Amino acid sequence: MFYWPAFFEAFPALLPGLLVTIELTVLVMPCALIVALVLALGRLYAPRPLARIATGWVEFWRATPLLLQLYWLYYVMPSETGILLPGFATVAFGLVCNVSAFLSENFRAGIASIRPGQRHAGLALGMSERQAFFRIVVPQAWSRVMPETASMWVELFKETSLVSTLAVADLTYQALALRTANYRTLEVLTALALSYLVLAYPQAKFCDWLYRRHRIRE
Amino acid sequence: MTGQRDRTPALIRIEDVHRRYPNGVEALRGVSLVAHEGEVVCIIGPSGSGKSTLLRCVNGLEPIDRGRILLGDREVRAKSREAREIRRQIGMVFQSFELFPHMTALANVGEGPRTVLRMPRADVELRSRALLAKVGLADKADTLPAQLSGGQQQRVAIARALAMQPRAMLFDEATSALDPETVGDVLNVMQQLAREGMTMLVVTHEMAFARDVADWVAVMENGQVLEEGTPSNIFGAPRLARTREFLLRVEHAPARAARGAEE
Repeated sequence: MFYWPAFFEAFPALLPGLLVTIELTVLVMPCALIVALVLALGRLYAPRPLARIATGWVEFWRATPLLLQLYWLYYVMPSETGILLPGFATVAFGLVCNVSAFLSENFRAGIASIRPGQRHAGLALGMSERQAFFRIVVPQAWSRVMPETASMWVELFKETSLVSTLAVADLTYQALALRTANYRTLEVLTALALSYLVLAYPQAKFCDWLYRRHRIRE
Repeated sequence: MTGQRDRTPALIRIEDVHRRYPNGVEALRGVSLVAHEGEVVCIIGPSGSGKSTLLRCVNGLEPIDRGRILLGDREVRAKSREAREIRRQIGMVFQSFELFPHMTALANVGEGPRTVLRMPRADVELRSRALLAKVGLADKADTLPAQLSGGQQQRVAIARALAMQPRAMLFDEATSALDPETVGDVLNVMQQLAREGMTMLVVTHEMAFARDVADWVAVMENGQVLEEGTPSNIFGAPRLARTREFLLRVEHAPARAARGAEE
């Protein structure tokens, strides 16, 4: 039996958690984009040793589970390094590291996929390397990495639910807490699913629209 | 033989240029060649003979290991600050067009004046439209490269290079990637430029163009200039057996290809 009142009453209780989830996503994504760009540029253009370090860093974050990374930062880092951050800051840091690693690989591949002739054409007009990069290479690379970046954004929005295991009071955390209080598992989890869906779907659609607008036909 | 050539000063002077790739391949092995002001110099020769490398060295897209290249009285050095300055004065047209796919034809032509010369918007537009009209594509101003045929793309690319008002133009197999029916349009534009007195260094497989339009023809093989001279000399009475061989091969290539297709 689906008990509708429990379903509807769940939403006000979830609201504070929802705000935390949105906050986390909106904070992490721009930071991750910047870090990813720096990592991608480092891997492509920095001197060998630096590029190697950047690659190692990226592979580390890509090849270990996010949950493990968050646990390590939350439980091991404070005791082993003495760095003690608030829970929110810790998981935000972990998410930035993880997401930026995936994004940077995407960016690196996108930039590398623009054929060198395009850069040469810019240089042949008398552009500086910087002008050729930002006016010629970046816009084309951006249109190629856009879909993947957009889906990373939606992915991140949902993956923030992992932080609920670390006492960060996000949307999932609030739902699990509510379930423990009223034992209405079906209603509460359905309300939780609907909350994610209602928020993620328009984002996904918005990303599709952005992609269509920025696509470059070749 | 060169008496006629010396009437105008040398604009591009290539002196004993060597270029070895990092993988050890010697692309250029002591090339010397001069293009006088207003001259069309065609460089012909088999694939892999270093023709394209030579052009890329001339505008400093590739460094050279020995020798020197002069534009007027200034030396071209890759990766130097002056290399940029010199590239502004030399237009380059690529085999694969290399139009910027995220910009309309008009924006492609205006990109140099806008970004490099920092010309006011209205002037950029005026100049770009005039150049598109010159290459016969006034009606394609707002079209993206992907919607243009190869020949149209290459003509836009020529207009883009001309927009910098270069002192010389380099053509790197400008018609090699084109469908046969669009080659003529591009060659016409190039011929018109030649008539207007543009100094041109043209790497080409179009022997008819070299014969009819060039003032001077250089035959390259294995990173060296085998033989150079006026078109009538090179095509009419080549000095070297190797040159004769190459010209024979080129002449018979289409016939052979057609036979191959029948079989």
